[in-house]
Amino acid sequence: MTVTSQTISKGGDEAMTTSKLCTRFIALCAVLMLVGAACSSDSGDATTTTADGSGTTVPTETTTTSGDGTTTTASAEPQTVEYWHTMSDPETAQLEAVVAAFEAANPHITVETTRFAYDDFKAALLTALAGGEGPDTARMDIIWVPEFAELGALQQLDGVMPGFDDIADSVFPGPLATNHWDGHYYGLPQNTNTQVLLWNKSVFTEAGVDGPPETLEEFASVACDLSNPSDEEYGFALGGTYFWAPAPVFYAMGGQVVDNAITTATGYVNGAASVAAFEMLNDLYADGCLSPNLLGGGIGTADGHATGLYAMITDGPWMVDIYAGNYPDFEVNFSLVPANGSGSTSSVVGGEDVVVFADSDASDAAMAWTAYLMSAEAQKTMAEVGVIPTRADLIGDPDLPDYFGVFLEQLTTAQARVPHPQWGDMDNAINNAFQRMLNGEQTPQEALDQAADEINDLLG
Amino acid sequence: MRSTISSAESRIGEAAPHTGGQLPAAHRRTRERRNYRSTLAAAAFLLPGFLLFFLFVLGPLVFSFRISFYDWNIINSELSEWVGLENYTRALGDPVFRRAVINTIAYTVVTVPAQIILGVGVAILLNQAIRGRSFYRVIYYLPVITPWVIVSLVFEFIFVGQGGLANYLLKDVLHVTSENIRWLAHPILTFVPIFLLGIWKGIGWTAIIALAGLQSIPAAYEEAAAVDGATAWNRLRYITLPLLRPTLTFLTVVLTIGGLNAYISNLLITNGGDPQDKTHFILTLMYEATFEGLDFGYGAAISYLLTAFVLGMSVIQLRLLRKKVEL
Amino acid sequence: MRMSTGKRISRIASYTLLSLGALAMILPFWYMVATSLKPQAFIFEIPPRLWPSEATISNYVEALTKDSFGVYFLNSLIVALVSTGATVAVSAMMAFAFARFEFRWKEPIFYTLLLGMMIPPVMLIIPQFIVAKNLHLLDSLVGLIVVYVAMNLAVQTFLLRGFFEGIPRSLEEAATIDGASRWQTFWHVALPLVRPGLAVVAIFTFLYSWDEFPWAHVAIRETSKRTLPIGIALFQSEHLTEWGQVFAASIVAVVPVIAVFVIFQRYFIRGDVNSGTKG
Repeated sequence: MTVTSQTISKGGDEAMTTSKLCTRFIALCAVLMLVGAACSSDSGDATTTTADGSGTTVPTETTTTSGDGTTTTASAEPQTVEYWHTMSDPETAQLEAVVAAFEAANPHITVETTRFAYDDFKAALLTALAGGEGPDTARMDIIWVPEFAELGALQQLDGVMPGFDDIADSVFPGPLATNHWDGHYYGLPQNTNTQVLLWNKSVFTEAGVDGPPETLEEFASVACDLSNPSDEEYGFALGGTYFWAPAPVFYAMGGQVVDNAITTATGYVNGAASVAAFEMLNDLYADGCLSPNLLGGGIGTADGHATGLYAMITDGPWMVDIYAGNYPDFEVNFSLVPANGSGSTSSVVGGEDVVVFADSDASDAAMAWTAYLMSAEAQKTMAEVGVIPTRADLIGDPDLPDYFGVFLEQLTTAQARVPHPQWGDMDNAINNAFQRMLNGEQTPQEALDQAADEINDLLG
Repeated sequence: MRSTISSAESRIGEAAPHTGGQLPAAHRRTRERRNYRSTLAAAAFLLPGFLLFFLFVLGPLVFSFRISFYDWNIINSELSEWVGLENYTRALGDPVFRRAVINTIAYTVVTVPAQIILGVGVAILLNQAIRGRSFYRVIYYLPVITPWVIVSLVFEFIFVGQGGLANYLLKDVLHVTSENIRWLAHPILTFVPIFLLGIWKGIGWTAIIALAGLQSIPAAYEEAAAVDGATAWNRLRYITLPLLRPTLTFLTVVLTIGGLNAYISNLLITNGGDPQDKTHFILTLMYEATFEGLDFGYGAAISYLLTAFVLGMSVIQLRLLRKKVEL
Repeated sequence: MRMSTGKRISRIASYTLLSLGALAMILPFWYMVATSLKPQAFIFEIPPRLWPSEATISNYVEALTKDSFGVYFLNSLIVALVSTGATVAVSAMMAFAFARFEFRWKEPIFYTLLLGMMIPPVMLIIPQFIVAKNLHLLDSLVGLIVVYVAMNLAVQTFLLRGFFEGIPRSLEEAATIDGASRWQTFWHVALPLVRPGLAVVAIFTFLYSWDEFPWAHVAIRETSKRTLPIGIALFQSEHLTEWGQVFAASIVAVVPVIAVFVIFQRYFIRGDVNSGTKG
């Protein structure tokens, strides 16, 4: 500091007055900013940040990828693929084995993985992409793909990625469809999941109930039998009012958000089946059979279920490993989501897609990595920690964990949420409708009528 | 010591006028010369700071202003569409935004006076020759030095609707309520933990600043008043508080700005406006619009509306609190 | 020491009030420590316990061995120390200039600076990111430091200007007559007199840099450059939050700040004595 200020005060003797100095300085800065902004919006930036933090230019090269994910490269120039994800602890540990296997087969490619907290992931991705510093690939929630594709952030894979058609043919159509936006595929389904019913056996046994309910009618009466609100014990609990939480019950009751062509919500989100689904949940809540934690600030469903406060919850396959780590003595029991009046069950499809970003400068290597993540080998490795594979040929594989059975069966009837860039806002509309009915401000029909109008606005 | 007060007044007051207009020509030249040299010296002292300030605060501010007039595409900025004032009019017509403004103002109006009263109270108690002064200082400062993220999680945890510490104290210890209160499920009750957290976390900071202010007041004044037989209350009312006015002004302005800019506690405790988008603060709404809704233009417009409001408030406060101290 | 009854009563009242307040300050903190010692299965016990029935340090062991907690800690320490030093130096210079120099547009410039105090920091993140990218400051601790200093300048300069204006001008005038340059006056005369103010600036900047989350979150991607708040945020999971580990990691993160505060508040008191407020 000393040096700077003294130098300037000496050298500035013949220079300008403060006002001029400041004017020029402000102008200079303003120009700098605008130029900076303009530069950053050029997408043809060939600089990537490597492990030592220096900017280096990575030469592009011709890469061909075969279906099993091994790569042959014309020039063996080393390349780095950045891969971002939001995996849990056990999954992250398992991912290291996947990376090691890929790097062994492709010695010229290095995969750098970075883990984020789910809640902050979208913000981190967006800021990085805005600055032209995004990763090459990422594993993102299936409901984000249309949104990022519409922004132009993702690379189209069909007709571009080597071996795309073979991979697309080998996976379940439902999860694949989540990558479809505006006539093209912008990702591949890395893993899939759905929610099933979890029932706490010791709570059931204590109350003299033999097994999990098989119909929704039975489910509602068991939920009330197992509730004792004064001791904070509830037959059923949902993680919140956002759509993912009531979705298994909603779809099992035959509910729908919009028509198949995604043109209108009228008669769907406020149709008879959808209203009946929310009426059931609303009644359970009013009767003290559904835990009030769903409105916020209660004990989480995972903790409440393991400690016996919530007899039943709906959740995904990851719970096995999470419970093994935190509640080693707890016995997890899964069963299908109870069936509706006509005897059919359903649930909601979840999962993550792997995408390649449009401004990746190592897109060939990134696609090779993507192809490897979709290989049977990689998917089986990840399955060991509860990640359900998307490859149809792995069904019935003896290496998969036993408890996958119920999830795979549920997946045959599970439904995807609306694949639309505005899904987030639609989710919010239903979320708010659910809260309005729980708080008694509106009947389920009124609340969903309003949600239908809001969703129609989003559909334009 | 008088200089502390008078100089602080001039700092807060208007620019010291120094036009050379009425001076004789010769005088004016020397005066200008002196000013000119002073200007250069000032530039040397100011340059390092202003360089950083321009690059990382003022420049970005200008850039955000530009964004606020666009339907800004964050990935491909050349695809951004100029929408004029639409983002601003949209915000002003949005009931969620208006609710957020009311919530933010309520938070400020409640937490700022509470922090000042309690903080100055603690400072006055600590400004005595008592044992364990350092011990108390550290205790009162614990909340301040604990990151917002952490204390927000702690308060969320304490106010859990089922079996949380707050409900346990109210229901099983004090018997104020017979049922567990669903704090975070209610659009008004949610603010209890958020407001309490704001006050709880700010008392220590306010007390430290007030203590620094109190220590610059010569003990002689108070002693003289005590000899004259003034009661403790009168000494506080007529000597300590007036002499503390610059500090109180500083506290009011800074805490108000902080209150209007509050967001981390709300974001974590209400999960961004739950229930029903009724509990937003201006900044949580801005954060949600920007990073959840990808609506950067709208987010920037909301930030600018907030900045304008904060600026207005600060100017008004400085004017109101500027009154001279009579000694 | 003899005391009148009235004084004795007021003394007792003071202690009672201070202790009650201290209890309110410490209770949430205590609960956090207690929770950090509970296994997950006892986190939501009803009724809640202010001390775990079976205390375990397993949360600490897991938290500290997870990811690169040690590296995060070191990064935070470097960033906080350098940001603090730089902010104290730069804002003291600026504050001195505003307090003691006459120059054109002084107040308008000062008010421009104050603008920096009133801006919600979150709104600057996207453009800051673009600037940092063009200066090659992303993914580096320097990138964090420059932004932390820039974000703190306004409020700290505002604070210190008051402290400098509180010094009697006669002291500096005497130094000037003795032939000291402005820089020497600043360095040898003014700066030592505002030490309590500098301590305040140091504490606040250190805290800010130690806590800051939003900017670090977007500017740093490499695991090896992450700071503590980012590390702690990673303990929260989509499916189940391990509260014990979150709070264990939080407590470890808070300890250094307590240390800094304890050290500087001692200095605080010495500063008071030195500046001779008693006279």
